[in-house]
Amino acid sequence: MRILIGAVACAALSVPVSAQQVTGRPAGNFRLTDADGKVVTLSQFRGRPVVLEWNNPGCPFVKKHYDSGNMQRTQAEAKRMGAVWLTVNSGAPGKQGHMTGAEAKGFVATAKAQPTAYLLDPAGRVGRGYAARTTPHMYLIDGKGTLVYQGGIDDRPTADAADIKGARNHVLAALGEVKAGKPVSVAETKPYGCSVKYAS
Amino acid sequence: MLLTLAAALCAPASAQMVQGQPTGRHLTLDLVPESATPAAGSRVTVALSGTLAKGWHAYWKNGGDAGIETRLDWTLPVGVKAGELRYPVPQRLLIAGLMNYVYEAPFALFVDLDVPAGLAPGTRLPVRVKADYLVCTEEICVPEQAELATELVVGDGAVVPATRARFDAWRAAFPRPLGSVGRFELAGGRFRMAVPFPASATVPGEGGYFYPLTSGAIDYAAPQRVVRDGDRLVVETKAATAAQAPTTVEGVLSLEPGRGFAARAEPGQVAALPAQEAGPALGGAIALALLGAVLGGLLLNVMPCVFPILSLKALSLARGGGAGEREARREALAYTAGVVLVCVALGAVLLAVRAGGSAAGWAFQLQDPRVIAALLVLVTAIALNLAGLFEVPTPAWAGERGGTGGAFATGALAAFVATPCSGPFMGAALGAALVLPAAAAMAVFAGLGLGIALPFLLLGFVPALRRRLPRPGPWLGTARRVLSVPMFLTALALVWVLARQAGADGTVLGLGAAMVLALALWWAGRRQERGLNRAWWPVLPAALVAVAALLPVRPEARAADIAGLAGGEAFTEARLATLRAEKRPVFAYFTADWCLTCKVNEKAAIETDAVAAAFRRANVAVLVGDWTDGDPAMGRFIERHNRAGVPLYLWYAPGRDGQLLPQLLTPSMLTALTEERAG
Repeated sequence: MRILIGAVACAALSVPVSAQQVTGRPAGNFRLTDADGKVVTLSQFRGRPVVLEWNNPGCPFVKKHYDSGNMQRTQAEAKRMGAVWLTVNSGAPGKQGHMTGAEAKGFVATAKAQPTAYLLDPAGRVGRGYAARTTPHMYLIDGKGTLVYQGGIDDRPTADAADIKGARNHVLAALGEVKAGKPVSVAETKPYGCSVKYAS
Repeated sequence: MLLTLAAALCAPASAQMVQGQPTGRHLTLDLVPESATPAAGSRVTVALSGTLAKGWHAYWKNGGDAGIETRLDWTLPVGVKAGELRYPVPQRLLIAGLMNYVYEAPFALFVDLDVPAGLAPGTRLPVRVKADYLVCTEEICVPEQAELATELVVGDGAVVPATRARFDAWRAAFPRPLGSVGRFELAGGRFRMAVPFPASATVPGEGGYFYPLTSGAIDYAAPQRVVRDGDRLVVETKAATAAQAPTTVEGVLSLEPGRGFAARAEPGQVAALPAQEAGPALGGAIALALLGAVLGGLLLNVMPCVFPILSLKALSLARGGGAGEREARREALAYTAGVVLVCVALGAVLLAVRAGGSAAGWAFQLQDPRVIAALLVLVTAIALNLAGLFEVPTPAWAGERGGTGGAFATGALAAFVATPCSGPFMGAALGAALVLPAAAAMAVFAGLGLGIALPFLLLGFVPALRRRLPRPGPWLGTARRVLSVPMFLTALALVWVLARQAGADGTVLGLGAAMVLALALWWAGRRQERGLNRAWWPVLPAALVAVAALLPVRPEARAADIAGLAGGEAFTEARLATLRAEKRPVFAYFTADWCLTCKVNEKAAIETDAVAAAFRRANVAVLVGDWTDGDPAMGRFIERHNRAGVPLYLWYAPGRDGQLLPQLLTPSMLTALTEERAG
């Protein structure tokens, strides 16, 4: 029930439905409830870089990065660099990967994931507002609230964990450049993975 | 742990599928060589033939909003090289607002293998490949892996008929290269791409779609419009909000399911398509087209085809120089109404005809020889009237007489005759009109009419202008007779057009009709001179005879046009072999209705008189391969010449191998080939 209320609260978000966020422009603010039922807004993290990760635990591409520990390592490294990590699940009820708050907490604990918060977006409003198309689909917002990266987690669009070694982790690379005060060299890539299982 | 959790979350429909642990593969792949016994030093196509379980789909090279491309890892004998993976035309699958470019029906991917030269026949070439691909349902995705193997034996390159048939069917689904590069423009959040596509080529129905290989160009899920615009196809859709615009856009333009053209476009300007709903941009486009139409119409007044008709009007104005203000205005308005109504009517018919799927163009009415013949008779009658052979009585149909009716009819005739002249000058405005919404298009046609009528409208409404016209006097009679000369010349021009369209028979019928009517008019004129009552009656039966004579006028079948180059015959490999065995020089060319470069070459080089004469002198046999429908046998022949598509030009000097000619031909290049042989 609380999730539903949270979802309704999303209706107040400033992002128009199904709009796409433009790299280099302010990222649209949003409000979602996390796995504990707490309301989280993007703007509350102003001043720190924020990583958004679209998640569906059932998707083989997500498994590639969680089962290998690559996503957890990326999360730890990002947080070490002072970033906030928000994992978002836009799977609709009844679709693959949809989770209740309790299930999400179970997933985070089992996978030893380290997001700052696991956000539930069952109505898909934030997902569509960011035009999140795949799981995973990654975004980086700098401390000023500007979207500086959107796309895939790395440059190896496969489901094979063996490809992680030697891949360029676009998120960590962009975060490193942001921390160093440099412009992000690779600001957009084509995300790869399963399609986000939105409500039809 | 994770597995049980995920499985528990699955919808009942997919619950029997354990995540990541497929109970069996959902895509069955087979490795099928076109020839199991390829010749050494040749290239053999190998198909990965795929069949999907029900409800599953595999991805195109660009999966759209999701998905990944298939990866192949080959294990090949030394010297054997695998080419790039080629994909057939995909289909669209929109799931919850996300676009997927997929295959659901059985499909085949192609790879070309190069077999090294110098291998002894009978050499075994084991071919193995590991394929990594993604298959999904609307709910879940599974990456799968398949290990495939086949063995080739170096031989004669023979293809089993059954395999040939399978490959022919698969090949039909592969995009054919369009040959000419298009243009694309990203502006105002819209993506527009114009691809050269000959106006003569038919576009099968609605529902064209551009599958982009280039990412960052279009929003995959947005609806597309594919519209025919003259000799281009224009694709318009929502642009992707990418930070960097692509420098080139590639993809597959599909006009019917499972068929497509490989298209490439470079940055350039592409005029906006008129939106279905009128927006500010559309308003601007209409205003511009309208302005162009009015100016063009104005210009038409000095064109040779309208000028004689206008001379009628000029005469009547000169005569009515002293007429009342109100009458002058009324006549000017009637004339304008005549012009505008005919323009709008012609436009309406044109739009209706086009809506019916025909590729009719402006001035279509003059493509019917019966209309030409009728105009010939009419123009002859007017010329005779101007020459003074007879007078038109008061309830005038048309002519130099004043009166609202006469003015209206003159205007109508002027507009009808003006259309062929308008082509070259008005092409752009009218082209725009044809893709505008119907109401806006009609406004453009009306604008054209207004332009034609404008000078007379001004004369009618500005007395000062009218006063500057010369006063009526005896000179008028002379002027009238002089003006009959351009009218007779117009008749002569129409005879020429008629002869071109309908041949000798049609010309004789048209001239006969004109003569019968002329005789009747002459007779009527004599009766008028004697002041007889009902001096007009001989004209009626004569007019009926004339109409009856015109009805059987038919366009002459023009064999030369259909066969392309005179003496050209359909290409087959067998025929080519025969001709070469006869030691005849052979020019073989491959063309398609949708290939603009081909059409340009044919008009500018191949079908010129100089080339025809040179070919005749040298006894050159011409073979024409029409690849419009993508004939697979011809496709293989083209591929063997390292061309992915048309145009392809080959020259076979007697006793020598074929010579590949450039894709842009000139007449001198072709005539030089024949002289080379002579010398």
